[in-house]
Amino acid sequence: MSGLLWGAMSVIRKDLLAEGRAGEVLTVTIPFGALALLFFPLSINTDLAVIRQIGPGIFWAVVLLFGILVTLRATAADPPQCRDLLLLSGVEPASIFLGRTAAGTLLLLVFELVLAPVMVVFYSPEGIAGWPWLFVVAGLVAIGLAALGTLAATLSTGLPSRSAIAPLLVAPLAAPILLAATETTDLLRTGQGIIRWILLLVAMDLALIIAGMLVAGPLEESMQ
Amino acid sequence: MKTQSVIGGAAVVVMGVGLFLAIEVPPEQVQGDFVKMLFIHVPSVMIAYLAFTVGLVGSLAYLATKNTSADRLAAASIEIGVVFTMLTLATGMIWGRPTWGVWWDWGDARMVSALFMLFFYLGYLALRRGVTDPKTRAGRTAVLGVVAFVQVPIVHFSVTWFRTLHQPATLFRPDVGNAPLDSVFVPPLLTALAAFLLVYLAFIRARYRLADRQDELAAAQMTSELAGSAVAEPILGGVHE
Amino acid sequence: MILKDLDLVVEASEIVAVRGPNGSGKTTLLRLISTLLAPTRGSAHILGVDAADRQAVLGCRHRIALVGHVPALWPELTLAENISVLPNLRPLGAGPIAEALKTVGLAKAADRRADRASLGMQRRVEFARIRLNLPDVLLLDEAHAGLDAGAAALVEDTARLVQSNGGSVIVVSHEVARMQGALSRVLDLVDGRLEAAS
Repeated sequence: MSGLLWGAMSVIRKDLLAEGRAGEVLTVTIPFGALALLFFPLSINTDLAVIRQIGPGIFWAVVLLFGILVTLRATAADPPQCRDLLLLSGVEPASIFLGRTAAGTLLLLVFELVLAPVMVVFYSPEGIAGWPWLFVVAGLVAIGLAALGTLAATLSTGLPSRSAIAPLLVAPLAAPILLAATETTDLLRTGQGIIRWILLLVAMDLALIIAGMLVAGPLEESMQ
Repeated sequence: MKTQSVIGGAAVVVMGVGLFLAIEVPPEQVQGDFVKMLFIHVPSVMIAYLAFTVGLVGSLAYLATKNTSADRLAAASIEIGVVFTMLTLATGMIWGRPTWGVWWDWGDARMVSALFMLFFYLGYLALRRGVTDPKTRAGRTAVLGVVAFVQVPIVHFSVTWFRTLHQPATLFRPDVGNAPLDSVFVPPLLTALAAFLLVYLAFIRARYRLADRQDELAAAQMTSELAGSAVAEPILGGVHE
Repeated sequence: MILKDLDLVVEASEIVAVRGPNGSGKTTLLRLISTLLAPTRGSAHILGVDAADRQAVLGCRHRIALVGHVPALWPELTLAENISVLPNLRPLGAGPIAEALKTVGLAKAADRRADRASLGMQRRVEFARIRLNLPDVLLLDEAHAGLDAGAAALVEDTARLVQSNGGSVIVVSHEVARMQGALSRVLDLVDGRLEAAS
């Protein structure tokens, strides 16, 4: 187990270092996501009442759709020879999955934290009493999406059509995450209990991580 | 070839009988003749479930045995499952328009979950097209074939779990004895189910054989040659004649 | 099927060269020995571990090093980071890593990004990694390609280092002559099987 985590740690370090240099999330995906947030008020109308209402829902939809791009960033895929090197350095495939998911989670959190104020500024949503809970939801959404994205990225490694196929694989399975995130936000606004939806998110995250670790080995074998 | 024609012929005959029985059913009080959409809608979703289940079994069998025929079976079945899912959604929408007044109801958990299931399986097919090497493709898509199946029970039980507009399940429901079905609907429905099952069998047979040939072709081009035999000594100083 | 009826036993402290025409399966052979590829038929034991036991294989992989056609460096990381990022080399600390980079002649380029380093420099990083943690099995796949005389000498030197440490080295190359003096045996890969070179 400690070997698993130690290997995962080096993958996290490598992914974050490489992303820091490449800057794909910061300089491309985040501005693109912010731009998407601006498109909806333009396309619907400028009626404040409507915009206030749809703001949080649009936010989660943009986070999930554009968050897929965060998990599919170029630096999240090792060149084949580097993948071999990691494996021959004693890093297990499950470790690579775990590390990559963790790095993706951190980048997705940054993505959410930058986009949230943009949404607040442009949509002026109604105040939500239990808003600190939204940080928990954001974290759980990030974990689930990162795990899904890592899995889809691995499945589509090296394919010419990768950038089209991987989002198609992630989006349908991300739908329950979207549902849970928007429902929680709604329930918080009306002051109702959210524990059922939080549990659903936790269960989904756990299931995705366990599934990802279990299939990492067989998937690795089929890549060779 | 012969078996194929027998299955196909039987499908046509049974479908004819089903059509006749369906026309014989009197229009329903509220829904009128639209109720007969049921005879396509329900069998197609059942066949889609069946197809995805076969896809699951084939994928698991491939992961366990690495037998490529299991992979071909899974792929063939899922492809047909996608077609029947589309048919289900289309008939559902055609029925929904006069009954509910809208083509699509976002509040309907069954419709929404079925739509997402369709897209995920479309992703499965896209991935298959994306990978050319049969062995790599089999390994990658088998994993996906297993993961994707999670959605089938979600789609089926969504009506029970979330109370929405959609009709409760007609078949395979927890309270079997209490079926909501009028007895006049049963014969045409079961006949249609039999006909669709035959269509499924005919399709899967044809699709499986096609995949078999395609893999054979790919193998003949790529891997059957022994090492070294693909490259010959270059002829130095030579020119093509 | 790429390789068939292939028999090969490599002892400790041996340096074996394998020659063969393009597409003869040399790379496949090395990937089989590296455990990255599982044999579809027949059996292979690497470091005493059955290659078919994919769980057991995970435990011995860190004792194997493979230098492939394309250097395994992450383009965004510096040359030094490309060493320190590996979980089995990180505990060594910055000192030994700088020392190893100096040994392979990269002291001045340690902080250069890998995508701005030449092929030869990238190769040298790979040998620095190997020298920091001598493997029991070193597999060299056309490792001479694109190297100047100095770097080529490094290939042979590293192979000898692994050998004197009790490890085995298998070299696949069109340029076997470049390390003739170090070789224990030369084998030819013909029609999917190995023959002793005449």
